Amino acid sequence: MRQRRNARRAGYAGWLAGAIGGLLVACAVAVTIGPADVSLAEVVASITTHLGLPGGEVDVLTDSIVWQLRLPRVLTAAAVGAGLALSGAVMQSITRNPLADPYLLGLSSGASLGAVCVVILGLSFALPAAAFLGALAALFATLSIARVGGAITPARAVLSGLAIAQLAAAGTSFIIFWSAKGDSYREILNWLLGSVAGATWTSVAVSASALLLVGTFIVLAATRLDAFAFGDTAAASLGVNVNATRWALLGGVALLTGAMVSVSGAIGFVGLILPHLVRGLVGPGHRRLLPLVAVMGAIFLVTADTVARTLFDPRELPVGIITAFIGVPVFILLIKRMRGSAWA
Amino acid sequence: MTRRHFAALTATAASVLLLAACAAPAATPPAGPAAGAAKHGATAGYPIELDNCGTTVTVPAPPRRIVTIKSSTTELLLALGLSDRIVGTAFLDGPLPEELADEGASLNVISDFLPGQEAVLGLAPDFIYGGWESNFTADGVGERDALAALNIRTYVSPAACKGEGYVPDPLTFDTVFAEIQEAGAIFGVQDAAAELVADQRASLDALVPVTGAPTALWYSSGTDSPYVGAGIGSPAMIMDAAGLTNIFADVHDTWSSVGWESIVAADPHVIVLVDATWNTAASKMATLESNPATRELTAVKNKRYIVLPFAATEAGIRNVEATASVIDQLAALDQD
Amino acid sequence: MGVILDSVSFAIDGQAILSTVSARIPDGAVVGLLGPNGAGKSTLLRLIAGIEAPDAGTIRVGDSDVAALPRRDAARLIALLEQNASPGVDLSVEQVVLLGRIPHRTGVLGSFGGPDDQRVAAEALASVGAESLADRAWHTLSGGQQQRVQIARALAQQPALLLLDEPTNHLDVSAQLSLMSLVRHQVGPAGLTAIAALHDLNLAAAYCDHVLLLNAGRLVAAGPPREVLQPSTISDVYGVEADVIPHPRDGHPVIVFSEPAAYFPSPFPARAAKSSLRPPDTDSMTARASRTEDET
Repeated sequence: MRQRRNARRAGYAGWLAGAIGGLLVACAVAVTIGPADVSLAEVVASITTHLGLPGGEVDVLTDSIVWQLRLPRVLTAAAVGAGLALSGAVMQSITRNPLADPYLLGLSSGASLGAVCVVILGLSFALPAAAFLGALAALFATLSIARVGGAITPARAVLSGLAIAQLAAAGTSFIIFWSAKGDSYREILNWLLGSVAGATWTSVAVSASALLLVGTFIVLAATRLDAFAFGDTAAASLGVNVNATRWALLGGVALLTGAMVSVSGAIGFVGLILPHLVRGLVGPGHRRLLPLVAVMGAIFLVTADTVARTLFDPRELPVGIITAFIGVPVFILLIKRMRGSAWA
Repeated sequence: MTRRHFAALTATAASVLLLAACAAPAATPPAGPAAGAAKHGATAGYPIELDNCGTTVTVPAPPRRIVTIKSSTTELLLALGLSDRIVGTAFLDGPLPEELADEGASLNVISDFLPGQEAVLGLAPDFIYGGWESNFTADGVGERDALAALNIRTYVSPAACKGEGYVPDPLTFDTVFAEIQEAGAIFGVQDAAAELVADQRASLDALVPVTGAPTALWYSSGTDSPYVGAGIGSPAMIMDAAGLTNIFADVHDTWSSVGWESIVAADPHVIVLVDATWNTAASKMATLESNPATRELTAVKNKRYIVLPFAATEAGIRNVEATASVIDQLAALDQD
Repeated sequence: MGVILDSVSFAIDGQAILSTVSARIPDGAVVGLLGPNGAGKSTLLRLIAGIEAPDAGTIRVGDSDVAALPRRDAARLIALLEQNASPGVDLSVEQVVLLGRIPHRTGVLGSFGGPDDQRVAAEALASVGAESLADRAWHTLSGGQQQRVQIARALAQQPALLLLDEPTNHLDVSAQLSLMSLVRHQVGPAGLTAIAALHDLNLAAAYCDHVLLLNAGRLVAAGPPREVLQPSTISDVYGVEADVIPHPRDGHPVIVFSEPAAYFPSPFPARAAKSSLRPPDTDSMTARASRTEDET
């Protein structure tokens, strides 16, 4: 058994190291390709200049492309991908529902409503804040409704999340229908489909710090998540404070998802699919699942975004379209593979 | 199903059927132009049959109760002197130009947005002239077939057709002038139309495009993903006539959603900003100046902006004036 | 470790589930918790585990008042196995057993395990005879095997008190017996005490040192099976007729059941003296029954 255990540890270490390497490669490729013709040397020069290291010279506009457009975009995509994948994994475990995703409790619909309101009012600069507040408001509404009639169970939370999501979506549609003129449709649509096109270094700061703070907390709570495998009573009998843990994790997911959505809109499929994919690779134990799912989520979104902005150069697609196009076939494959699993 | 439920269901079904039967013949238009034409004898040049965006439109007599949707169509009819025949207008894109202000003083604006079918039918129109194909949907003024069945002719500005084979590719001033002439034929004001076209053509020919073919970006909207004028629509037409080189001329579309990167890479000489009430030129300038990448653009650093009102940029009678404005503004910029 | 229940009461939404239950459970015993559905067995186990706190009364495990113990300390003392099999659990057997080590983890949010986690888990699996299943996926095991693994998980907690909520439900006869036997063997020498809620009176009679009989939230009897499982008591609590006979092999009490008098008329011979609803006397079985009665 010891031999097998060591082999499995080595296997996991291999996966993690490989994934991190893959992420670095994906980011490097993403920063180097795009509609503008920027050579690798120029990319390196731009980065080293900003980091205060000795390096080549690069003209203002090329530097601007690399440092203000591509790099923040790639880093934001990586952080958002990691955060969404992590949130999805936690939601699936807490609600013990393989179809859960980060937006389950009405988070993305609430964020969309907040975002659409400010876009229509012409206050686009306040979009991230409005989206974040919208997400939290939706979560609050979901949990308040779920509480009506007793203690909040995962099933009740999911159902009220659905209700709030529908309500918020209806509200969003109403606002769009009522006041969208000319081409403001497109801006809203971009946001609803999810896009990292507007990423700035502020977006990087917001998404990366949310990921670091909440993500660390979640990864540390990995064994507690394992305890939930057999239900609440089993978790309680294993010494886990069920309510406190669940609330803390849900709160963490809400913060993390709210931050990501405020930066990039509601990008779908990342939080739903990556956990299943990674579980298929290293099993459902959370100590292995969580770090790896975060890295894989980052790779997935960076790649999807690169495709979104280069496929029909110079036209750009919202990345949410690409994640769906990649995500659905992968999901179908996963379902086929799942025949032997407990959830099939 | 219990007996009570069954009874309720039958009652509901019966009332629904009854209501449907009553609703159908409700919207009968008053005896319209057909009757009028019969009284005074058939008008010369009618009936007119034409293919508009794939729909066959038959006009038996000069329309007398016209509803116009969007500014381009409204302004066209005003310019043709038809203000007394417009019973209602909606979804305007901005204020009327000065020269048409008097003509349009008594316009009946029924909505700032796309009105619903009933509101339009309430005006008892015999002709609806839409600026966009999407105006004619079930939750808009109504589907073209449905309206035709009610003896209401519908017409979409040909420049705005989206159907295969109907998209002007590219849009040219000839297309725009052809629309004016077709409108003249439809409404029985061929002379006014011919005069208008002659005026426009003269003005157009008199324009002196800028020299040097400077590069330009046509920025319509969007902050994260800019929506820009591309290769075959009215932006391209106006920029071409003004002598500008559109940096997205090779994108085969009327407008397109692009990334800031291509714009920064092209570093256009001047940026044309569309000014609309829902998306002002000022807000676009603010976007350009606050975005750390675009604020390094030459045009942004030197504030080389050209501003055009939205209504003048849709295919219509104001395009020549818009082109002239572009040339003048550019000249003013170059003087600084 | 011994358990002392002192006037424990518990209600949900005003509905009394347990009323002033007092009992003393000896150290190192296998205790059966018996009673019909709704008697409050599961609730009592949850209270003893410290997952809920009683509305009135105290529960002491060893020297500690369970309700006052911090959650983690309680988990190091008491292990509880619920009755329902969990669908959709995708862990390997080894991972399931390792869950039992969670109460012993230290560090922020229990992120670091002790160095002997693996060793304890392996020992627990061995003691239930399931070492060969270590790498199997838990949900592919049979019901009996899954219960064994759950017991291994509980043992991995290194508890002093093992609580089992109807562990033999859904198991076939062989699995039932081997499970109870396993519990018996774990208990006693290591100072481990086990309390098992059981439906099957005969399992209780065969394997328990001590039984507690609950009815509608009240403790109606406590003591060795031989004393508690009397026909009149069983009849009062379960509403069926019972006879207790010695097991042919080792003499422990075996309870056999008969329908009570108040049931519908049946073609099978009823205790003639107690049945006023006698079927027509044409059936040979009935005739035989009459003959038997004549003999007693």
